Amino acid sequence: MLKGMRRLISKVHKAKHEEQHEGQHYSLPLQDMKTIFPHGLPPRFVMQMKTFNEACLMVRKPALELLHHLKNTNFDHPAVRYVLYGEKGTGKTLSLCHIIHFCAKQDWLILHIPDGHLWVKNCQDLLQSTYNKQRFDQPLEASVWLKNFKTANERFLSQIKIQEKYVWNKRESVEKGSLLGEVVEQGITRVRNATDAVGIVLKELKRQSSLGIFRLLVAVDGVNALWGRTTLKREDKSPIAPEELALIYNLRKMVKNDWHGGAIVLTLSQTGSLFKPRRACLPQELLGKEGFDALDPFIPILVSNYNPKEFESCIQYYLENSWLQHEKAHTEEGKKELLFLSNANPGQLERLCAYL
Amino acid sequence: MAAPVMKTVRGWSDLALGVRSAVLRLPGLSQVRWSRYSPEYRDPQIDKEYYRKPLAEQTEEQKFELELRKTQLIKAAPATKTGSVFEDPLISKFTNMMMKGGNKVLARSLMTKEAWGVLVHWIPWQTLEAVKRKQFEKYHAASPEERAAIERNPYTIFHQALKNCEPVIGLVPILKGGHFYQVPVPLSDRRRRFMAMKWMITECREKKPRRMLMPEKLSQELLEAFHNQGPVIRRKHDMHKMAEANRALAHYRWW
Repeated sequence: MLKGMRRLISKVHKAKHEEQHEGQHYSLPLQDMKTIFPHGLPPRFVMQMKTFNEACLMVRKPALELLHHLKNTNFDHPAVRYVLYGEKGTGKTLSLCHIIHFCAKQDWLILHIPDGHLWVKNCQDLLQSTYNKQRFDQPLEASVWLKNFKTANERFLSQIKIQEKYVWNKRESVEKGSLLGEVVEQGITRVRNATDAVGIVLKELKRQSSLGIFRLLVAVDGVNALWGRTTLKREDKSPIAPEELALIYNLRKMVKNDWHGGAIVLTLSQTGSLFKPRRACLPQELLGKEGFDALDPFIPILVSNYNPKEFESCIQYYLENSWLQHEKAHTEEGKKELLFLSNANPGQLERLCAYL
Repeated sequence: MAAPVMKTVRGWSDLALGVRSAVLRLPGLSQVRWSRYSPEYRDPQIDKEYYRKPLAEQTEEQKFELELRKTQLIKAAPATKTGSVFEDPLISKFTNMMMKGGNKVLARSLMTKEAWGVLVHWIPWQTLEAVKRKQFEKYHAASPEERAAIERNPYTIFHQALKNCEPVIGLVPILKGGHFYQVPVPLSDRRRRFMAMKWMITECREKKPRRMLMPEKLSQELLEAFHNQGPVIRRKHDMHKMAEANRALAHYRWW
């Protein structure tokens, strides 16, 4: 029913989202948002959270489909890859955040890379990697990511033990059987070794997720950055390929489906991408041949614009929060105009309603 | 030789309609500063409701108007006047005054509509959005009694702020006996609105801190003017005081 669309407030049981809840909003507790999402939420959504003092997500079909698949995963089979793709502003990142919240509530370990494109451009300090002379280290990005990873997965860091000895340099090393938290601390404090710390974390998590102690969710936003081109250059101005960056190299190994005990959810994004045309949104166009072959086989999930029910629900949500202050916005004329101007695109609608 | 060509074209349209132009057009003289349309062109009617009224509800005059419009020449509507329900003529005028070098896209994105490809997303790029978010913050921080008094509609705040900034009386330099005297003079509505908007824009442009963006500064000034405080209101009061001080010179006005 389009007229009487109400918001469904379900704070606890995300698992109970069924098809009949499609189009309705549910609110997430703000405390959870701070722990689970230290990074990774779209910036305009963060602004909206701050203004409304609440975080509300709409339950939509792509997310429901993914949740259904995740609930029925067989953890003995290799990890399945799901790729969310669609036009700009349709809600791929927020769908990913929905999935992450669900998995966090189910006590999975979340490995969330907020934006792959941040690792392949605008890097101020590139160091030659100590581990492998051919590759490059990115200390800043790695340490920032480790900090956020620590906030999101506090309790796992004190449970997981590493199964190999790693030597940082002549004086420091980390023994077999010590906690993962120590590796993360080392990465945060010694920024030079941050990239290697990230590599160790990824390797250990991949190895141990198959043992069944925990379930691993690898969530990467902007995964097409891993197989594109970078804008980074060496000192002699020759371009660097993505595989020469240690972070990207390790992440590619993570996204391969040779481990079991979890799932891999990926999002394509044209917005931050390098050297890709603006209209490109399909997996073949954004990933390129190399990326597509590396990710093949995967389950593609299209995220599209709002259907009429969801559009109406979104407008009702804004009206309930008194976000739409213009007197004409309540009328049928106003709603028709909003539909026309935004073409039911969630991102455009949000920007339109911001100044009305 | 554009001017004589224009004149002859107009002369032809004059003759075709048989309507004499109200303004005296002397031969050999072409008017450059006024509109390129000759006087018989009517302004376009943008309002959709005007055309949707059923025939039964219209008075004799309106029916006559409608019939007359079918035969008259009508000017082309400017691109900025849309039939949109959300359009506000005051906001359009203010955006035009803020515009520099014909860059309407930039002026509009600073005032109302955000550009889609903006790189920095976590600060509001438009004045109206910034005003709205500040008021929402205040609303959530206030107690339930105070909440009713907080206005959150950016359009009412904008209109009220500019109305508060309008001066009641203005000063005009009049030459008498070799000296210019500042004489207090009543202002028309149009002039008052213009002065309010001009003061607001100059204030924001000149007294802005270096790294602050225009929307943020404008939203600050608008909110202060809404509460009858701030530099623009002070400038209005200064103008009033000067007019009061020069009261004796009011006789110098001859209109």
